[in-house]
Amino acid sequence: MTCRDAIDILADYVDGAMPAELAAELERHLAGCEPCRAYLATYRKTGMLGAIAGRVDMPAEMQARLRRFLSEQLRRA
Amino acid sequence: MGDGEALEALMSRYASRIYRLAYGITRSAPDAEEVVQDVFLQIVNKGAGFEGRAALGSWIYRITTNVSLNKRRGKRRELETPLDELLPTFLPDGHRAGDRAFVVADWSSTPDRELLAGESRRLLEAAIDRLPAHYRAVLVLRDVEELSNEEVAEIVGDTVAAVKTRLHRARMALREQLTRDLRTGA
Repeated sequence: MTCRDAIDILADYVDGAMPAELAAELERHLAGCEPCRAYLATYRKTGMLGAIAGRVDMPAEMQARLRRFLSEQLRRA
Repeated sequence: MGDGEALEALMSRYASRIYRLAYGITRSAPDAEEVVQDVFLQIVNKGAGFEGRAALGSWIYRITTNVSLNKRRGKRRELETPLDELLPTFLPDGHRAGDRAFVVADWSSTPDRELLAGESRRLLEAAIDRLPAHYRAVLVLRDVEELSNEEVAEIVGDTVAAVKTRLHRARMALREQLTRDLRTGA
């Protein structure tokens, strides 16, 4: 397995969606490849950071505006 | 249950999710607000014709994704970077290309609180801004909303294989930008 092969399949590995045999082959590559270990660690961390950064809340004033907007729409309906 | 109460229940259940997805795709609070209004308007107009509670969630995600992507058309595209420039490169033998210090750079042990504050947070947000909108859609649906590849494929109207590819490329592009930026402190 080359670094290109390893990086190609990281998503399935990180998501736990990889057959055990392929995961074992990837892990053998990772054991001997510092760049791919660094890649996997930062790839995994990137996913976590993106998920946290994406958890934005709808501002309260926007919720109030939405409520007013929808009440108006319902009155017209 | 009256219309008002039914709508209030829908708002409690879906408003935050719709906003989160709309903001994740448009990256603009005013645009996301318009998307939320538009989606709820469609819910009101659809009235009693919902396909059933189980299907409502994916219908709402689908409408929100479409409206958000339409809103993005022709807007702020100058911020987006062609993805190929943000993917790892390889030597003919399959090893990573680039200088050794870069390819072994590992910032993953930096605490989240440090990466999610100040200049690092700004770099992260800028990196997300630079992703093409349809990549951000898949990223939010999978990594923020935690939907399955199959659910996302149904929502974006693509194959599971295409969703997986897009998700992987989006994560790689984000990782690449963060590695470049965090390493140089740009």
